[in-house]
Amino acid sequence: MENYVYIALFAPLAGSLFAALFSQRPKALVTGVVTSTLLFISFVASVILLNHVHHEGAVHVTLMDWISAGDMSIPFGFNIDQVTAVMMTVVTLVSTVVHVYSNGYMDHDKSFNRFFSYLSAFVFSMMVLVMSDNFLGLFIGWEGVGVCSWLLIGFWYHKADVTRDVNPSISPSWAANEAFIMNRIADLGMLVGIFLIYWNIGSLQYADVFAAVPSMNHGMLVTIGIFLFIGAMGKSAQFPLHTWLADAMEGPTPVSALIHAATMVTAGVYLVIRANPLYSAIPEVSYFIAVLGTFVAIFAASMALVNRDLKRIIAYSTLSQLGYMFAAAGLGAYWVALFHLAAHAFFKALLFLGAGNVMHAMDDELDIFKMGGLKKAMRWTYLYMGLASLALAGIWPLAGFFSKDTILEAAFNEHTYGIWLVLWFTAGLTAFYSFRQVFLTFAGDERYKPLGFHPHEVQKYVLWALSPLAILAVIFGWFKEPFMEFVTQFLPAYEMSEHTEHNVVILTVVTTAIALGGIIFAWMRYYKGLKRDEKVEQSLPYRILLNQYYIPILYERVFSKPYAALSKVFWEDVDQQVVDATVDGIASVIQESGDSSRKIQTGNLSDYLKLMSGGALVLVALVLFAAMQN
Amino acid sequence: MITLNHYLILSGLLFAIGLVGVVRRKNLLMLFFATEIMLNAANLAFAATSSYYHDLTGQMFAFFIIAVAASEVAVGLGLLILLYKKYGSINLDDFTIMKG
Amino acid sequence: MNDILSVLIFFPLIAGILGLVVTEKSIRAYGISVAAVEFILSLWMWFAFDPANAGMQFVKRIAVVPDFGISYYVGVDGISLFIVIMATLMTLIGIIALNIKKDLKNMILTLLFLEVAMVGVFVSLDAIIFYLFWEFSLVPMLYIIGAWGGEKRLYAAVKFFLYTFAGSLIMLVGMLYVAYVYQQTTGSWSFALTDWYSLVLIVPVQKWLFWAFFLGFAIKVPMFPFHTWLPYAHGQAPTVGSVILAAVLLKMGTYGFVRFSLPMFPDASVMYITPVAILALIMIVYTAMVAYAQKDMKQVIAYSSVSHMGVIMLGIFAMNAEGISGSVFFMLSHGIVSGALFLLVGVIYDRRHTKLMSEFGGLASVMPNYALIFGVMLMASVGLPLTMGFVGEYLSLAGFFKISPVMTAIGGTSIIFGAVYMLSLYKRSFFGPVTHEANKALKDLDAKELTALIPLVAIVIWLGVYPKPILQPIDNSVKALVSFMHEKAQTPEAKNTIVVSKRTKEAQ
Repeated sequence: MENYVYIALFAPLAGSLFAALFSQRPKALVTGVVTSTLLFISFVASVILLNHVHHEGAVHVTLMDWISAGDMSIPFGFNIDQVTAVMMTVVTLVSTVVHVYSNGYMDHDKSFNRFFSYLSAFVFSMMVLVMSDNFLGLFIGWEGVGVCSWLLIGFWYHKADVTRDVNPSISPSWAANEAFIMNRIADLGMLVGIFLIYWNIGSLQYADVFAAVPSMNHGMLVTIGIFLFIGAMGKSAQFPLHTWLADAMEGPTPVSALIHAATMVTAGVYLVIRANPLYSAIPEVSYFIAVLGTFVAIFAASMALVNRDLKRIIAYSTLSQLGYMFAAAGLGAYWVALFHLAAHAFFKALLFLGAGNVMHAMDDELDIFKMGGLKKAMRWTYLYMGLASLALAGIWPLAGFFSKDTILEAAFNEHTYGIWLVLWFTAGLTAFYSFRQVFLTFAGDERYKPLGFHPHEVQKYVLWALSPLAILAVIFGWFKEPFMEFVTQFLPAYEMSEHTEHNVVILTVVTTAIALGGIIFAWMRYYKGLKRDEKVEQSLPYRILLNQYYIPILYERVFSKPYAALSKVFWEDVDQQVVDATVDGIASVIQESGDSSRKIQTGNLSDYLKLMSGGALVLVALVLFAAMQN
Repeated sequence: MITLNHYLILSGLLFAIGLVGVVRRKNLLMLFFATEIMLNAANLAFAATSSYYHDLTGQMFAFFIIAVAASEVAVGLGLLILLYKKYGSINLDDFTIMKG
Repeated sequence: MNDILSVLIFFPLIAGILGLVVTEKSIRAYGISVAAVEFILSLWMWFAFDPANAGMQFVKRIAVVPDFGISYYVGVDGISLFIVIMATLMTLIGIIALNIKKDLKNMILTLLFLEVAMVGVFVSLDAIIFYLFWEFSLVPMLYIIGAWGGEKRLYAAVKFFLYTFAGSLIMLVGMLYVAYVYQQTTGSWSFALTDWYSLVLIVPVQKWLFWAFFLGFAIKVPMFPFHTWLPYAHGQAPTVGSVILAAVLLKMGTYGFVRFSLPMFPDASVMYITPVAILALIMIVYTAMVAYAQKDMKQVIAYSSVSHMGVIMLGIFAMNAEGISGSVFFMLSHGIVSGALFLLVGVIYDRRHTKLMSEFGGLASVMPNYALIFGVMLMASVGLPLTMGFVGEYLSLAGFFKISPVMTAIGGTSIIFGAVYMLSLYKRSFFGPVTHEANKALKDLDAKELTALIPLVAIVIWLGVYPKPILQPIDNSVKALVSFMHEKAQTPEAKNTIVVSKRTKEAQ
């Protein structure tokens, strides 16, 4: 089995290096084909491992030593258990689809080869992240995906910065830096968590760490839990480190689908699931995670309600769904969180890639107010995005219905009715904004016509490539029971109480009702066409939502600008005017004193003799004085 | 009775006279005289203490000093004459080329 | 084989003197071959080095002034071995990448003499010999900055010289005092470090000596607030000068702490962890912010050096094997990475004769290879895992976490602030549209520049993925150092703070 582990891990790396060889050549289809094939191989290996883990249990391999100093010894070790196997399969599946899709999407881009190199490098980092058997290995992947995300968000680096009114994310390179730096802030938290683990447990191997958890001081566990979660908050864009995710939409759409929807942003959720023995032991932190997740769910959904940018709407919905996952993980329903993670990866990647088709057809126009009626030209894309939106909204029998419903049941089961209520309401919002988007894009009057767009459906093979995602978005939920059985071999089982079982039908009905309500409301309002209401658009709540609660502007005013100003003060006023001036001051004092004592050097022997005699007298006086003292 | 103290007081007085000469005089020749007086003051003190302690070392030193003073005058006066030939003056205030 | 160190020291010296008769035309080939031979000799030394032996190897001791115990005494252990190799490597790379027209011969010969001093400092085991090489290293650098520098080169060169010189004089007084105490205790003079190690100093004396040595080393590192000579020196120095200065000369300061302060004054070192750490934290945070405010690319990297040296200082004063091994490793990685970054800035300076970021923008479009290598070094500089920069930074911080979690968290902001200034530099220079007409026709890296840079890229990645060949010998020697300090410490506080790793204990 060892070989399959290495194949799954290193095939993407091989692809990336292969593509890198061509990085400065003009487009070569071979890079796209080779990387996609290698990804597919990696996917097959992952499925084999999944099957193996199912029947035989976890696989553990150690490649070689990495860092070894003092008592710290960190190997490149990989452990494939149930959670990892699921993550690997999801990651490689979505990646393969995205790679194939990108062959069509990036067709006209002059940096075609470079794109595949980055994309495969990302998959490699993500595999390291999920496969590592220790926290530092996870951290390699954690930073690796961060860099790949930086490279891919800033893929079109040649675009110039514009003001926030023109483009809320300023420029791809700006958004890339924002994402990287914000992630780094969280990574520091994670690093501190890792240090705490090392000095308190003496090892960073998952197995050792989680074995030591029961015997540890509760306060220390809470501290470790908090710092690790700070790391998770950055990667999974939880409030208040969420602004980068929407700006990350500057990257090419396949990137948004793969990194900023299906895989990388779920790394935080993965971490919490992975560290479940730790978080189970600290219910107060877990409860905080659940509450924060719930807050982010509704917070992000509210911003999606009014946005006009096709990709940003999906980005906010991703944020909102990540909130759901954290809510589930925080409530102790780890397998449910993982289930929603997988389901979400499928339908959200599909949604994004569908949006990519629309962008392609509309020459990179993203404003849904300028679209409408695209269903004639893009029948298949309409179908795909419709399916994905239905899944996202949680309509039976699609994937989202099963996963989201279970999260709501868990919230009910824990008697956290507040969380349940908010999540329930958010389900309605989700359905509304998803279908607002679908209807504004595909239904109603053809607003693009006067603007001179000529939409067309994408290549056949791209549509075929999307079909696995579409199928999974539909059927994945049906595998809830086997999935649960499989992952709870490793994760703690989550039992619903009888009270919940009793009410499960009512809960399902209520949830489906609000989702349908959202869809119907969107249908009434937007299916026929766009009717803009100036009064609403000028109202304060609308503007607050459209400007993301003014948080990016707030961050700029409170952090970026003062930081730049303070840096300038430090340099110009402190470093040059105080520190360096002191050094130069000491030097000039010495020079001044030399300069002024130079005057004694008159050149006149007589003056020297006088001074000498005076000096001799003083010395004699001193000798006499000393003699008298004795 | 002339005691050691008398010799030493005389020596001190001579030294003081010489010192004043060194400090006050501007003429190089006079400076030489003043230093000679100081040297002889030291000689006097050496000779007196030598006889007081019945130790010949002091008197030996006095001879050394006389020898050194003589050679110094020989060389110094030679230089002085050269200086006078070159600049036409032996007044110290005229030689400040080493001014810093 | 036992003379390998003497060969390493004197080969460049003899070659430099012989080089005086080499013609201007063939001097480049001569310089490269001498530096290459020297580098290969240092690699050979590594090959012959016994990694399992934590003590000094290739030791050579010849009495020079026996009455005062001054001897020509050299040797290497895991701590100094790789710094020597790095010094020879960076000299070779620096000579390969040389791109000056004026007085090429003088430059190359100066670099060879500088190499003598650099190798000498790191292999000396006698305080006087150490001091000689330490001071001798100033002269070639003074000449390099003063003769080939920018507009304010004289000011920068004199400042560099006097500042570091003043510090080292105080260190010299400290050394003489240690020798005096040694003479008082044992009855004979000795300046040999190994003899000094065995000397147990009472705590009040340790305190004074600690600060005397501290001043000498801290100015060299340079620690805040003694760092202001560095931006001038880097700003004015020619590329090769900055490369050597950042890569090797700064390491002399931190190496001094490891070689002198820690084993000789363990109690005082433990006592002064907090003040030193506070200075280090100021270095990390404050200079990172200053770096962000710079307009000149080279100054950004100069200030980033100071910031990273702060992390190294934290690691040294971690008083455990993790931290000290990490900081020694970080010295190497910082040498390679900042050296490479200075070379890269030199590349663009050769083409445009400016280093101001506002003059660039969109370089990634016109110089893709350059952007790629710069990107790799940038990521190594911000401490990305699987590059060389991560291992040292991580271990240094991890080690110091044992001393103070809060201070480590503040020092850890280095990974945030580092990303802020480096990414903003990259964005301003490499991203965006090409706005300046002059930048549109820039040539990408040529063969010579690639020859200099590609080995560095390879090293950065190789040692990021597999640091063991280097980290293990370092760790062995550091463990020996730590357990020695633990043995020697007198105060209970120091005994508790200096943590001997479990593996060492088991081995005993």
